[in-house]
Amino acid sequence: MGFIQHHLLNIICYLPLAGALLIIFGIRKENTKAIKAVATVVAGLDFLASIPLWFLYRPDGPEFQFVVRGEWIPKVGVQYYFGVDGFAVLLILLTTLLTFISIYSSFTAITHREKEYYVFLLLLSTGMMGVFMSLDFVLFYVFWEVMLVPMYFLIGVWGGPRKLYAAIKFFLYTLVGSVLMLVGILALYFYNSTGLEAIGLPGLGNAATFEIPKLYEIAPHIPPELQFWIFLAFFVGFAIKVPMWPFHTWLPDAHVEAPTAGSVILAGVLLKMGTYGFVRFSLPLLPDATMKAVAWVGPLAIIAIIYGALVAMAQKDMKKLVAYSSVSHMGFVMLGMFALNAPGLRGAILQMINHGVSTGALFLLVGIVYERRHNRLIAEYGGIAKVMPLYAMFFMVMTMSSIGLPTLNGFIGEFTILIGAFNHSWVWALFAATGIVLGAAYMLWMYQRVFFGELTNEKNKDLKDLNRREQWTLIPLIILAFWIGLYPKPFFRIMEPTVTRVLERVGAAAPDRPETPAALRAVSEHHEEPAAEPAEASSETE
Amino acid sequence: MIAVPVPWILALSAVLFVLGALGVLLRRNAIVIFLGVEIMLNAANLAFVAFAMERAGSGSVSSAISGQLFVFFVIGVAAAEAAVGLALFIAIHRLKETIDVDRLNILRW
Amino acid sequence: MTLEQFVPFVPEIALAVAALAVLLAGIPMGRKAPRALALLSVAAMAVSAILVVLYATPSAGPEVILGGMLSVDGFGVFFKLLFLLAGAITLLMGVGYVVRAGYGYGEFASLVLFATVGMMVMASGANLASLYVGLELMALSVYILVGYFKLEVKSNEGAVKYFVLGALSSAILLYGISLVYGGLGTLELGAIRDALAAGSPSGRVVGLGIVLVSFGMLFKVAAVPFHVWTPDAYEGAPTPITAFISVAPKAAAFAMFLRLFLGAFRPAIGQWHGVLWVAAAATMIYGNLAALTQDNVKRMLAYSSIAHAGYALLGIVAANAMGAWSLLLYMLIYTFMNLGAFGFVALLESRGYAGELVTDYAGLAKRAPAAAAGMLILMLALAGIPPTGGFMGKLYVFSAAVQAGYVWLVVIAVIMSAVSLYYYFRIVVQMYLHDGDGSELAALVRDRWLEIGIAACVVVVLILGVWPAPALGWAQAGLAALGF
Repeated sequence: MGFIQHHLLNIICYLPLAGALLIIFGIRKENTKAIKAVATVVAGLDFLASIPLWFLYRPDGPEFQFVVRGEWIPKVGVQYYFGVDGFAVLLILLTTLLTFISIYSSFTAITHREKEYYVFLLLLSTGMMGVFMSLDFVLFYVFWEVMLVPMYFLIGVWGGPRKLYAAIKFFLYTLVGSVLMLVGILALYFYNSTGLEAIGLPGLGNAATFEIPKLYEIAPHIPPELQFWIFLAFFVGFAIKVPMWPFHTWLPDAHVEAPTAGSVILAGVLLKMGTYGFVRFSLPLLPDATMKAVAWVGPLAIIAIIYGALVAMAQKDMKKLVAYSSVSHMGFVMLGMFALNAPGLRGAILQMINHGVSTGALFLLVGIVYERRHNRLIAEYGGIAKVMPLYAMFFMVMTMSSIGLPTLNGFIGEFTILIGAFNHSWVWALFAATGIVLGAAYMLWMYQRVFFGELTNEKNKDLKDLNRREQWTLIPLIILAFWIGLYPKPFFRIMEPTVTRVLERVGAAAPDRPETPAALRAVSEHHEEPAAEPAEASSETE
Repeated sequence: MIAVPVPWILALSAVLFVLGALGVLLRRNAIVIFLGVEIMLNAANLAFVAFAMERAGSGSVSSAISGQLFVFFVIGVAAAEAAVGLALFIAIHRLKETIDVDRLNILRW
Repeated sequence: MTLEQFVPFVPEIALAVAALAVLLAGIPMGRKAPRALALLSVAAMAVSAILVVLYATPSAGPEVILGGMLSVDGFGVFFKLLFLLAGAITLLMGVGYVVRAGYGYGEFASLVLFATVGMMVMASGANLASLYVGLELMALSVYILVGYFKLEVKSNEGAVKYFVLGALSSAILLYGISLVYGGLGTLELGAIRDALAAGSPSGRVVGLGIVLVSFGMLFKVAAVPFHVWTPDAYEGAPTPITAFISVAPKAAAFAMFLRLFLGAFRPAIGQWHGVLWVAAAATMIYGNLAALTQDNVKRMLAYSSIAHAGYALLGIVAANAMGAWSLLLYMLIYTFMNLGAFGFVALLESRGYAGELVTDYAGLAKRAPAAAAGMLILMLALAGIPPTGGFMGKLYVFSAAVQAGYVWLVVIAVIMSAVSLYYYFRIVVQMYLHDGDGSELAALVRDRWLEIGIAACVVVVLILGVWPAPALGWAQAGLAALGF
């Protein structure tokens, strides 16, 4: 037990790195079988290693558990500090699962330079894990940027026709965002310690530290103006990653050009880092600025929801459609988060997981037909259900999950967010509901055009249905979708401490606020009982 | 003997410095440019000597000596610089038959 | 002055003697036994390094010796060891290159040794006179090294341009020194500092002097607008020399910069911080933007080194303790990054100047995966991406500037550093994402010593990125010399 408590996070984080090193130095590049086997086994073991987090994390325990802590650069207060709360546990589980699935799904899709491919996927996995575990700003930043390099190569080497452009665009966009975030981090660091001399800002005089839980404590003392600037710096970094409108333009390019596994990781995990950053840093560290930002972040999120949905509707390419649907769905997450109440935040966190599951699965599904036909245009298909019944079924489940059909995961997430949005303002809820309707429209319209009708295209006559391996890449995600849809309680339970603490910290800035988090928690106690919602009903009848 | 006032010497030194700088910026023959640099170095030397005189006049001998000593360093360095510079000019003249800096254009200037 | 006072100066004396000996030994050995000569020179560097550790390390605080000419302090030790290391790596990387080009090795090694002596004096000078002489010894040796391939027009041209502009900058620096002397009546850094702190009587003369000195120093570190010599000298010079002049003389110039501006002129910060703020911003912006369009790798790395001078200037603009030690650390990391990167260019130059164009790197990842991976790491380091040393270096100079409150300058710095990724990755794109049509001349030469030198640089860059704490401690040991 002690061993697990003290080493589990290290093992989960560095197991993929060890696997990558083993492949680099231990296996010749011609031996693709061994490379695939090692990569799959390592990713599988990593997923198994992360499962204990789910059972051993105690919601009533201390905020951060499984702490690994040591000095790293003591002279400037940088620590090697890992630890997770329930929120991070969920994302880590999602990451290990999706990493495993993307590796397992790549066996036939990737046919050249396999060695490098699996090495980069494993390195990427270590980077992502580090982001969710780090409780020291410098450590966090290191992982945050490290992860960009393998992703760049995954898009750039194994991507589609415009891969060079898409890869460098992805890298530069996110890099600009994250370096500005670094300036914000430094400002926070010096405000806590010595202050910023030339602009006449005295510091708090504490010992210099990048430790995030320590910085939580000073959050209420940061002057509003400084909070605003730091919030802005963080916002750019995280909003690009989410991506929020108008910073989303890298996303369609990256998604469309990336190989399937790259898209799965990108949508499933990388986008979550933006929203993770908001929940972990922006909200609790900068409560005053957060409260003030609601007025403009909310509308931006609404624009993202509607805009993403409308653009998705106009797409002719399936992958692009799913990519734009991500913009819309992540807009929901942001909206729920910035409702700044318990249901909103709960829904946002759950929807992060949901989006990872359903969009990840949709990218896998699109990748499967692409691998057979090397074409993703909706117009090329039609009547596929006849030749690929199993595929049609899997696709149907995931479409329903994406549009929020009751009994599936999307419903719980979207509905909880809607409650939160409604508690904030009915206008938000109205727009959000419109977004759900639009979402149902474009997904179902695509489904209809691809799967129903006559089998018009000759080339589709001999399409093979899903093979055993492809089924197994999808089944875990489907199980997860039903699990969250039917019994989300454990998910809410594990994230609850995070939700409570974040809201307390945001609330700490404005004690005179009419809606206190405690009151809100009472309001939304019954979020699991789905009341009939007009938007939901309409999506069902279509 | 009437001592020349120190500010006059400094003014001369400043004039020499500016003239040297103009020579470097305006002339295109490498030797003449180098001549301009030498004039600038000597302008600095003149300033050192003048300031040292002023110091000596106000009685701080060690301060005056350090200034005058510096002049000797500069003279030595300038001689070495001339040796290196002229060697480089000869080397390029052998290859290109010119020391006009405008025609040293294989590298984008 | 007693004879014992010369003891801390023994490393420099030993190295100068070795330089003369190598020059003489080069007459018979320069062409016939260049590798033995290289080992001899490296051994001399190693001996000098040992002597630095044994005799030039201060027992307590900084101590001024030889009539106020030199200071014995941790700052000097840090930089001296850095120069010796950079010089030794250059000597090793240069052997094969110089021999393949058909030139003698004796003068090459001797000049590198002389330049190193000059830089060591720059790093420990406590008097404007010794700093100036050290600077000139370094500069004159380097001018010749740039023009070392005397039958190549490019090499000569680079040397002439470097020389003319370098001499001009020395003259400006010297005139500035004369004005500082005129205003304060002293050449000793400690006395200058005291006089400035007390409030000098002739402030305007001194102010002008300090500004002129700053121009001279900006020239030596290749900051905008005094950078025009850099691309030409870097492109024209034999590549191992480009590697050398892009790191060691630059680090030496920054050492002198620190001694002058943070050590001596800090009380008069109002006179110079505006100039340096503008220079730092202009250098970062211009260096990075100009690098974007370069197709010649050496030229691109030249502009990149201009940009890096801009980042490093942040440490001086910040003018606080963190600025000083972060600059030391930055120079350490930068030395290895750039030595390694130029080493790769040398590795690719099989014939003539092939291997200088970005497209010469096409498909390298396939033909030489280890070399490509090493170059990738160095490019990431130069762009400041963790977990490489490049990130750690930037992190601290940026931190120092934020601490000093120059937030906008840091915003410029971070955005430009993101932009820089684009041109560093042009090489990466060629190596990893292009296959190459087979016509490029990027056949790797077999040069064991060069490869070892590069591999050492890559490993050090990674170590400094993952575990920078010890290096940070060494850098902080240099602070006392600057009065922090």
